Amino acid sequence: MTATVESTTTGLTSEQRAKHANRRLHRTEHRWALAFVAAPIIGFLLFTLYPIGFAVYASLTSWNGLGPMTFVGLDNYVTLFGDEYFRISLYNTFFYMIGIPIGLALSLLLALALNRKIPGRTAFRTIYYVPVISSLAAIAIVWQFAYNGDFGLINQVLAWFGIEGPDWLQDTATVKPAIIIMAIWKGLGYSMLLYLAAIQGVPASLHEAAALDGANAFQRLRNITLPMVRPVTFFLVVTNIIAGSQIFTEINIMTPAGGPEFSSASIVWYIVRKAFKYQQMGYATAMSIVLGILVFVITFIQFRLNRRNSFSID
Amino acid sequence: MKRNRLIAGAVCAAVAGALTLTACSDGGDGGSDSGEKEITFMFRGGPDEKAAYEAAIKKYTEDTGVKVKVIVTDADQYATKLQAAVAGNNVPDVFYIEQATLQSYVSSGVLLDITEQVDASGIDLDNIWQYGVDSYRFDGELQGTPDGKLYGLPKDVGPFSFGYNKTMLEAAGIPLPDKDTPLTWDEFVDISKQLTVDNNGDGAADQWGTGLNVQWNLQSLVWSNGGDWTNEDRTEVTVDTPEFADALQKFADLTNVDKVTPSASDAATLDTYQRWMAGEIGFFPVGPWDVSVYNELDFEYDLIPWPTVGDGGTATWLGSLGIGVSATSKHPDDAVKLVTYLSGDADAQQTLVDANIQIPNLIDMAEAWAAEEGAEPANRQEFLDIAQDYGRAMPAAFTYGAEWYDELWTNIQPVIDGEQTAADYLAEVQPKMQNLLDESNANAEQAAAGN
Repeated sequence: MTATVESTTTGLTSEQRAKHANRRLHRTEHRWALAFVAAPIIGFLLFTLYPIGFAVYASLTSWNGLGPMTFVGLDNYVTLFGDEYFRISLYNTFFYMIGIPIGLALSLLLALALNRKIPGRTAFRTIYYVPVISSLAAIAIVWQFAYNGDFGLINQVLAWFGIEGPDWLQDTATVKPAIIIMAIWKGLGYSMLLYLAAIQGVPASLHEAAALDGANAFQRLRNITLPMVRPVTFFLVVTNIIAGSQIFTEINIMTPAGGPEFSSASIVWYIVRKAFKYQQMGYATAMSIVLGILVFVITFIQFRLNRRNSFSID
Repeated sequence: MKRNRLIAGAVCAAVAGALTLTACSDGGDGGSDSGEKEITFMFRGGPDEKAAYEAAIKKYTEDTGVKVKVIVTDADQYATKLQAAVAGNNVPDVFYIEQATLQSYVSSGVLLDITEQVDASGIDLDNIWQYGVDSYRFDGELQGTPDGKLYGLPKDVGPFSFGYNKTMLEAAGIPLPDKDTPLTWDEFVDISKQLTVDNNGDGAADQWGTGLNVQWNLQSLVWSNGGDWTNEDRTEVTVDTPEFADALQKFADLTNVDKVTPSASDAATLDTYQRWMAGEIGFFPVGPWDVSVYNELDFEYDLIPWPTVGDGGTATWLGSLGIGVSATSKHPDDAVKLVTYLSGDADAQQTLVDANIQIPNLIDMAEAWAAEEGAEPANRQEFLDIAQDYGRAMPAAFTYGAEWYDELWTNIQPVIDGEQTAADYLAEVQPKMQNLLDESNANAEQAAAGN
């Protein structure tokens, strides 16, 4: 409406008018576009960039989480590299990751098994998935009972075979394996499900062609199925390592004091303890930042390696 | 166009919503503009505490017209939640405080100085355990001194007493220990040896003299031997003294030399607790919070003073949890009043005592409770003696944080297992503990200065 009024009063050519209208349309669209873009950007600024900036600053201060912060420069980082418990908890955290390849291998086997037409496979798939949807806290408590040295289910079962089981969670040698076993059990269903989907996505024609060429089942698994599910393996490895580096709940519930001689304490467990029990929020933040950088670097390396090894079929 | 506008409107609303979300986290007692006053009370505890406090709060609301919003958390989430509330500037008006974190909450300006309001409230502080009240006094340098400003009142005091299985001792024909004269360490070990027997004849002991947990029981041994964790002004860690080493060694020897406890690895778990309750253990610590469970057991038990290692006299620790008021409370007077109800109201105390989970805060009530006919355990007076006379604060109760203290336990297991001598270990751990204590004292000064 305004456009026609303008055109009669200013006497512009039709071309100019069109351009003008175009520009105005652009301007309105730009404004809308900005509004839409603003939503995620403001969200990013508020909920990601600001907290990161704040954390970086907090890691340079001595702060109890309540009162004023005192700037101390890199002191926290210097302390951190001399902190024996930081080193041990980092070691423990990586130790727990031994469970990742074991868990992946088991879940691939399970997926292969449950991909066959065996009776009751839907029931099995459901059963293996139940731990995934259960509360981790509840699972940790149940396993804590199971691992009890005197009355625990596991030692009772071992006793049937004449084996005297250790006091799993109180022994420096067994506490980490005990937690790994639990974590594998808990994560099995999720990895299995992804593998199952990937296996079913492998074109049947490939298997048929290979079978015609005389490939046996193992060769087909090795040369067709495994390469085809590789993206899933990669995804699972990356997400498992990121999640594994933040392992906390099961440690905190099953070994509230970090295990005998600090043998089960994970890095996040140590961070939480420093931050909330000993009120060293600045130092704890510095540790979190180091952990964040570590996870970033590891993930970056994984993507690099994966790019080199990846291939695609048309 | 219209639809676009709608979408854009929705986007803007979402953005605005996100913005306000971060801005609306202030205000201590949300939305009480109707003229009705409401204060919040955050605590942790089980159903018994909840019931007791409900009664006290009801009475408080009747008396004052002030409503109370109660927030209960799990024991292990409490500290995190409270800290989040502080960070979010949304501190409950009234909340539990621990002895060990009192100083940081005071110097950070979170806790209100309630000295005057408590005086004005008419509550008789002389009728509450002095240790309990003094625990929440802080003069800016030392905590627990009688002249400091008051920052809270005790929720309870927790005397950690010692008990024996009366049924077991009688069956073994051992004269019952005297409730007024503590056993010497040799007597204690001697009786324990007589109690450690193989009843079912399978070659392994199935009844033991005792089974203690180093983290909760070592204090008594060390103190009765004249040792301590720190010097008086809490600046020097003194765990490397011969008295301390002797006490720790004797503790470890119970398992490794005297062999009067279940095997080493069991001592660090709950299992000796289970065995005590199954009637397999002769001597075991008893706290007031245990009484409701222990009274249901199949054997009789009673309390005695802790055995003494040296000539320092019988000793044990006396815990406490406190109730404080937020410095940012909009109704500080009402909040303090609530604290006096929770800590000192006779009905509320009676509910807690009836539930057998704590001793009364009120001394006159406690004395009547201890003198009750047919009380179980019979020697309830021992709890009171600890609260009144010989109970001591935990070593880290009045320092700025307990990290230095926890360090002792982290690597102690080899000593308990007899793989390392107490003296060696203590010499090794003392410098680490000293570092951490220095750090915590420095932090305390910094926090006090920053205020």
